[in-house]
Amino acid sequence: MISVMASELFKLRKKIRAWLGPLLIMILVLIAFPLSIDISQYDLNKFYFSIIVISLLVISFLATETMFVEDFEDGTLEQIYLQERDFYKLALAKVLIYVLLIGVPMSLIGSLFSFANGVDASQLPQIFITLIFSTLLLFNLFAFGAALSINKGAMLGVLATLPLALPVIILLGRAIRAVQFGNGFYEIMALMIGAGLLVAALVPLVISITLRTHLE
Amino acid sequence: MQLITANNISYTINDQKLFHGLSFSLDHGSALHIQGGNGSGKSTLIRILLGISTPTKGEIKYMQPNLVLSYLGHQNAIKSYLTPLENLELIFPKAQFDNAYSWFKKLNLIGVQDETTANLSFGQQKKLALIRILANDSDVIILDEPFVGLDQATRDLLAEYLKLRVSKGASLALTSHIEPGFNCHALVLNGGAA
Amino acid sequence: MTAKLLPYIASCGLLLLLTGWVWGLAFAPEDAVQGNSYRIIFLHVPASIFAQAIYLFMSICAVMSVVWRVKLAAYLIKSAASVGALITFIALFSGSIWGIPTWGTWWQWDARITSTLILFIMYLGVITLHGSFSNLEKADRLMSILVIVGLVNIPIIKKSVDWWSTLHQPASITVSGAPTIDPSMLYPLFVSILGMGLVLISLGILSSRLHILGREKNKKWVQSYE
Repeated sequence: MISVMASELFKLRKKIRAWLGPLLIMILVLIAFPLSIDISQYDLNKFYFSIIVISLLVISFLATETMFVEDFEDGTLEQIYLQERDFYKLALAKVLIYVLLIGVPMSLIGSLFSFANGVDASQLPQIFITLIFSTLLLFNLFAFGAALSINKGAMLGVLATLPLALPVIILLGRAIRAVQFGNGFYEIMALMIGAGLLVAALVPLVISITLRTHLE
Repeated sequence: MQLITANNISYTINDQKLFHGLSFSLDHGSALHIQGGNGSGKSTLIRILLGISTPTKGEIKYMQPNLVLSYLGHQNAIKSYLTPLENLELIFPKAQFDNAYSWFKKLNLIGVQDETTANLSFGQQKKLALIRILANDSDVIILDEPFVGLDQATRDLLAEYLKLRVSKGASLALTSHIEPGFNCHALVLNGGAA
Repeated sequence: MTAKLLPYIASCGLLLLLTGWVWGLAFAPEDAVQGNSYRIIFLHVPASIFAQAIYLFMSICAVMSVVWRVKLAAYLIKSAASVGALITFIALFSGSIWGIPTWGTWWQWDARITSTLILFIMYLGVITLHGSFSNLEKADRLMSILVIVGLVNIPIIKKSVDWWSTLHQPASITVSGAPTIDPSMLYPLFVSILGMGLVLISLGILSSRLHILGREKNKKWVQSYE
């Protein structure tokens, strides 16, 4: 398992566009939003978080869109199948590496931007943890979408998995409000961490079945 | 001794019957040359033997537990954004790397080992992909058009290698419209029962 | 076999549906609070019920398709998805219309409406997924996987959206408790529900027959029809 993760890390690191791209786009979006409104008129603190949440959603989708295409098209998937006979390890490793290399920086960026909009320094760690587990959830779900649509393009993946992502968004919004108003944070976090771990363990299984179906 | 048996297999896709009623086996120390016109189902049969595709009817049995298969098809399974050396490092664990690297040298790829694989020629990429087969001591070797794109020297090298492995007990199945150059049983697909 | 039954089911269904509607629209009394506008429930409630019931049906078929590789189940999913999408749209649309006199607005972001909207998108997702693949066996399998994953998601969506807000009228027909609406309105409602069910089944049968004929067109039993 470690070796699979090491290979995936090695490959993703080499594909600079694949990990740097989403991060830069996220920064652009987070800068673009205040530029598009009259800052003096609005209390940015109140709804800037919504932009952070939406950008997390969209960028998570962008980042995972082509997760499996490459392996499918160059024959690597078949070779892996011959050795392992299933794709659980591959799916798990890929998702975890993507979360580590892209999701964690995304959460960092999101937290820093929230800081720039009136959040207390003491709340930063809580926001960061919330965002990390949200990306864990979102990356898993969108990875499933990517596995379903493989090389049929982005639209399919979105349509198929956006409904799955919406509960995560609701959860994330609730968690952020809990941080802002200081109530019920630990309960929400417990739910989020539990859901995150469960999803991270189970979704690769579904991804494995889906990839196997594509191979036939 | 049989390593893989195919029993009465048929394959239908989108209501088109590719072949039916095929029964044969891949035996210890023998080579099978699967022949047929374009679209006769050679590559599909290969995928069925590998266990990637499931036959519509019939079954494939692996007669020994933990049978090691090595396979090279139309796709090379190499990463175009890495160098050949990096690709080798990804494919082969430390223990087998030296063997793989010696084949790398034998195939005259040393000169391009630090180029991005995407910049290599078709033949060079295919040679790199072949190392998966050459440096692997598998029980069964399955190849789909392995000679295409190779220069004559490499074709001879590959043919020699395959002949040697078969004589040492491996089982080989391949499709090739180029004559392999050594003795094989033939399995002809002609749009129906073999 | 269904060929023979279809006219009966269809006409029975239409008859029942029409009866339920005429009864509800013309003869049931006015609602104390909402006046005559409540009558849309004879369309809206059956539609909402079936929007969800059809998804349940699809998931059963999906399990049969994936686990036991029953081909018929896969054909049924596709037809059910189209019928489901249609009826969910009708539920949303009729709900919108109902919203005007009761809440003064076309749309509200409350739990039930939002979940129904998400359900609609899920139906569309299933249909789109199947249509994107030329290898139909593969498409069937992927579609079934998506339906099953979606099934797991439905209670999650409901709970989370509910958690998020609520404005929708609480259910007036509950399984365990006595219904809180007057019998004179309840009976036409049941009739409408039954009628709509039969109409939808007949639509589903029509649609499936088309699909099955299309998919099996090279088989002997289809060709002997001609």
